[in-house]
Amino acid sequence: MAAAQTFPLPVHKPSPLAGLKVYAEFVRIGFVNILAFRLRYYTGIITYLINVTVYFFIWRAVFANATGPIAGFSLPQILTYVSAGWILRSFYWNTIDQEMAYEVIDGKIAMDFIKPVSVQGMWLARAMGESAFRLILLTAPTAIIVTLLFPVLPPASKLNFALFLAAAIGSFFIMGALNFIIGTCAIPLTSILALIRAKFWLIELLSGLLIPLNFFPRPIQVLSSWLPFEHIAYTPLQIYLGRLSLAETLRLLAVEYFWVAALLFLGHLWWIRATRKITIHGG
Amino acid sequence: MPEAPLISVHALSKHYRSFKRREGILGGLRNLFHREYQTVKAVENINFEIGRGEMVGYIGPNGAGKSTTIKMLTGILVPTSGEMLSNGFVPWRQRTAYVKTIGVVFGQRTQLWWDIAAIESFKLLRRIYDVSQRDYDERMELFNQVLGLTELLDVPVRKLSLGQRMRCDLAAALLHNPPILFLDEPTIGLDVVAKDHIRQFLRAINERYKTTVLLTTHDLDDIEELCRRIMIIDRGTVLYDGPLSRLKEQFLRTKQIKFILRDGDQSARLAAFEHNLPALAPNGDSSAATLRLERLDEMTCRLRFDRARVSSSDLIRQILAAVDVRDFVIEDEPIEEIIKRIYSGEAEMSSYQPVEKDSSPVTR
Repeated sequence: MAAAQTFPLPVHKPSPLAGLKVYAEFVRIGFVNILAFRLRYYTGIITYLINVTVYFFIWRAVFANATGPIAGFSLPQILTYVSAGWILRSFYWNTIDQEMAYEVIDGKIAMDFIKPVSVQGMWLARAMGESAFRLILLTAPTAIIVTLLFPVLPPASKLNFALFLAAAIGSFFIMGALNFIIGTCAIPLTSILALIRAKFWLIELLSGLLIPLNFFPRPIQVLSSWLPFEHIAYTPLQIYLGRLSLAETLRLLAVEYFWVAALLFLGHLWWIRATRKITIHGG
Repeated sequence: MPEAPLISVHALSKHYRSFKRREGILGGLRNLFHREYQTVKAVENINFEIGRGEMVGYIGPNGAGKSTTIKMLTGILVPTSGEMLSNGFVPWRQRTAYVKTIGVVFGQRTQLWWDIAAIESFKLLRRIYDVSQRDYDERMELFNQVLGLTELLDVPVRKLSLGQRMRCDLAAALLHNPPILFLDEPTIGLDVVAKDHIRQFLRAINERYKTTVLLTTHDLDDIEELCRRIMIIDRGTVLYDGPLSRLKEQFLRTKQIKFILRDGDQSARLAAFEHNLPALAPNGDSSAATLRLERLDEMTCRLRFDRARVSSSDLIRQILAAVDVRDFVIEDEPIEEIIKRIYSGEAEMSSYQPVEKDSSPVTR
């Protein structure tokens, strides 16, 4: 064994790639961690199938007496919208906010502080690992079963599909950034159950997952276009169905990614502010 | 040449504003409209310095402010006022750079991923602390020798026993070989063997890497076995800071003589001795604090006495004259008793004069 060493202070190598590798490690651990809960996902597939089935029949009933498209949607389009919407949701969904709330109540959040990484980056990376896992174990099987059971239209074109995927990745980041902001509220407020529930319904509604946004009254549509939520589901699904011109598609993608950046930045500021006044339980 | 302290804390305070709840339904309703707050001074104006390679025990009753101090030192809490410099960093201002140079173990929590094998957490930590494979292998080898990690690494952390988990957590905190290690109750809830493991390991690390260790504990054996220096905190202020030996010197009040009788039928002689005890005390003062005889069992007696007022050689002579004794033990009062007196405010802390600081850090 070597002789007693003097203090090998960790050398700080400022390499942006090395920084990314650290977060890649959190992605990996998020993935491995969720493996321990894989049973949960078998029931998840059933839950998503039930949701698709319910909305499938609701929309069929809505269109039963229709003579033409409603709000620009034909029946096959709206059924595809619903199916693709839930498949998409199975990917972008995460529970950062709930997990953070739990860690604050438990006091475990203190352990996040002693890691030499950005706390926000860490949570997002972990959620990314989980989403990668969901993609394989939840999204893919759900997509296969849904397309077998229901008449789902293929994407409008290869380009549309590629842009849809880009938008879907944006959905994940908007969702993740929002959840981090909500989760951080647990630090000053401790109990954020009501907040999480309110956010849940707000997003189910304003993301366009349950009802496409152009079914809403005009003022709500205008209001919604100034908010980030519709880019979670409505924007990617419009792109999938090819309902937008290429220019409009690219514009919306730019707006979506603007929101990603804005929400990440807001979350960063909010975290710094919230942790100034932190009180940690158990001590 | 005196080295600059590794950790220096100056006039550090942490106050919480806590919301005062009224009781009952009416009180609850009033709470909705008008809130009263009270300020809790968790830590109030503490000062200390810790040199490189020191092992310092930080003790105090529950709620004294130990954990709050540790949380400020680890960059988790932002202090209300005061200054702190640790390893050249202001912890809460340069958190990510700072925490790369410290190791932290909270006895009641784990930094390992609960549901997966411990080795996964180690892999992650190796990456985030940027530890080379060679260093990693070397340290794991050392940790393994003292802590016996090998058979623990592939088990999900939640299935480990408390002692096994603590061994893993210690190794995890030291994987990047930090110059400073903070331990918040590292031996809480552990059995004797596990405690011994942990202490041996801490000594080995301190010896080999000159790691500076600050640990809080309720177990004074931790302190006696690991730390030369002890800091006592209560109600947010430091009551004592200095070597353990000086604490004993200054606050040791009573000693005890245990003596074992040669045979069991000396009751009458013992009673006569007990009766004469007041005569041995100065000015006939035989209050319980000065002289007290207890019979532990048929053959064993314990005589406690104030070491400032009664000389032990006098006492021994008296005992030998009075009864037939087979064996003698003279003991200091246990350190717990001293600490208990300090916590309860009985010990006169005002009489304690901080002796000039040793400029040379304690190394062992």
